[in-house]
Amino acid sequence: MVVRPYVEELKYLEKINDHCWRIKKGFQPNMNVEGVFYVNSRLEQLMLEELKNSCRPGAVGGFLPGVKQIANVAALPGIVGRSIGLPDIHSGYGFAIGNMAAFDMDDPLSVVSPGGVGFDINCGVRLLRTNLFEKDVQPLKEQLAQSLFDHIPVGVGSKGIIPMNARDLEEALEMGMDWSLREGYVWAEDKEHCEEYGRMLNADPAKVSMRAKKRGLPQLGTLGAGNHYAEIQVVDEIYDKWSASKMGIEEKGQVVVMIHSGSRGFGHQVATDALVEMEKAMKRDKIETNDRQLACARINSPEGQDYLKAMAAAANFAWVNRSSMTFLTRQAFAKMFKTTPDDLDMHVIYDVSHNIAKVENHMVDGKERKLLVHRKGSTRAFPPHHPLIPVDYQLTGQPVLVGGTMGTCSYVLTGTERGMQETFGSTCHGAGRALSRAKSRRNLDYKDVLDKLDQLGIAIRVASPKLVMEEAPESYKDVTDVVDTCHAAGISKKCIKMRPIAVIKG
Amino acid sequence: MEVEFRKDNFLLPETKYEYLDHTADVQLHGWGATLKEAFEQCGVAMFGYMTDLSYVTVKNCYEIEAKGDDIEGLLFHFLDELLFLFSAEPYLVCKKLEITKFDLDNFEIVCRCYGEPFELGRHPQGTEVKAITYSAMQVVQDAVKGLYEVFVIIDI
Repeated sequence: MVVRPYVEELKYLEKINDHCWRIKKGFQPNMNVEGVFYVNSRLEQLMLEELKNSCRPGAVGGFLPGVKQIANVAALPGIVGRSIGLPDIHSGYGFAIGNMAAFDMDDPLSVVSPGGVGFDINCGVRLLRTNLFEKDVQPLKEQLAQSLFDHIPVGVGSKGIIPMNARDLEEALEMGMDWSLREGYVWAEDKEHCEEYGRMLNADPAKVSMRAKKRGLPQLGTLGAGNHYAEIQVVDEIYDKWSASKMGIEEKGQVVVMIHSGSRGFGHQVATDALVEMEKAMKRDKIETNDRQLACARINSPEGQDYLKAMAAAANFAWVNRSSMTFLTRQAFAKMFKTTPDDLDMHVIYDVSHNIAKVENHMVDGKERKLLVHRKGSTRAFPPHHPLIPVDYQLTGQPVLVGGTMGTCSYVLTGTERGMQETFGSTCHGAGRALSRAKSRRNLDYKDVLDKLDQLGIAIRVASPKLVMEEAPESYKDVTDVVDTCHAAGISKKCIKMRPIAVIKG
Repeated sequence: MEVEFRKDNFLLPETKYEYLDHTADVQLHGWGATLKEAFEQCGVAMFGYMTDLSYVTVKNCYEIEAKGDDIEGLLFHFLDELLFLFSAEPYLVCKKLEITKFDLDNFEIVCRCYGEPFELGRHPQGTEVKAITYSAMQVVQDAVKGLYEVFVIIDI
């Protein structure tokens, strides 16, 4: 890493407008393209502070600030356009979280990087609607939270309750949500409202290690821990009435359920295995990167191809996982309201992936090119009329689901043409951490956090007490700042705001 | 592989590890009078993040092997083996680790892992560890001062 005094570093950064900064070449060595990041004045402070802190002379054991990581990604072989930081960006492993980058599939030197996808492959958000209103749910809130907590296995060491053996797993990895549909866990129309229709076709379970399968099998149909959650939310604000009605959201007060989870230990192991393989491939193919954590392989190398096939299997795992929890959620609601999920109109509004690499066509310098788009902590946000979004959303643009933090709000945005041009059809994914976990535990009190949630009228069930502090809203950036920045920059458009009334966490 | 062990004279090691700050993740810091001890401590530290070890009793012992290309690789694979021991059959939480072969010429470890299977309701749920990372990994060996320490960031 280039270490320069803070004032020198600032010379490489240029504020283009109120919510966008440019990172010039030379900020980090060998940058093939420029970097860019989207922030408003408050997020800008956090971003620059992180950079300033890393400029202290003689500092050891620290980590790279997000801005530096954007620039390191800009130095990877085959990158096109710009390396892009979204407003919720924070320092991550190799790639920052909230970083997207696209690589030219036709350039033989282009790379794929598991760090650009993240350990939790196809971590994503699913939103279910209901025809219930806040007044129906408020009196039953505590019971409903408990029922969801009892239905969905959460937290460290919990095991799935959907019966699975090794052969079922192989099929699920290959078929994704088609497996869930065949086994009767989802409705046919659920698939229509998922990215890739809930199945990546290039998945090859044979490219996945036995170890990953062994880690995955007991965890299928579990929520996980950390920042994953299931939330009962009510519609708090509708910004775009017409688009909202296309999603089946008619009025304020309507109840929806948000599920945030990924590919569990399966995806984590696929990523770990790939990183080990790619370290070797990098030495062999003499691929130089600015940071050892940016392990990557040429897209066309055996390691690159194997990773993409294993990643697709992990993506399918994640869809089956979210589908299993969709099933459990529908059961919990149906039992509580003594009716059927059908009569509760519990349709999937949409399901997004925010840790994934996909082959997509985009315009680069006026020409259509086939790109491998990495989105790590970033959500696809395709504009109206894009062929890859479902027919129901052809006129609104793709719904983008942005999960907030425990006790704050969440948003539904829609994709825009401007986002397609500026950010390869990508936008933010959530709030983004601001405080370290250890700092949250030191500075926040367990009881204070719970009292505050109670005052806000939010029922909560958490498996691990220390997670309450780590995941407190104070530990994160303000999701409203993040979403407003995306809206102001025009890379996606605000549609609906929801606030939680019950939270289930690992 | 499960192995026999003697329950008489069984001693638990003293704690020589701590958890350091990192924005999204956590850094494990283990130390000891030998590098072997620092490795063992670092491994126990990881289990201490998944549950409260004071609730764990020693009932079983499993033996694991790990190999690497260099010292960092060895540490990485050692921890990855331990994570696997927890994540799948036998779902073991370890309270004590005893490295019986610590070969720094060929970078090989054989380790006996003492603990019991994780059980909901009996063991509090801590934080889930997704993966081991090479990020800011440090292996410090100061033979003169007799100080050995390791730093590892785990993805959570």
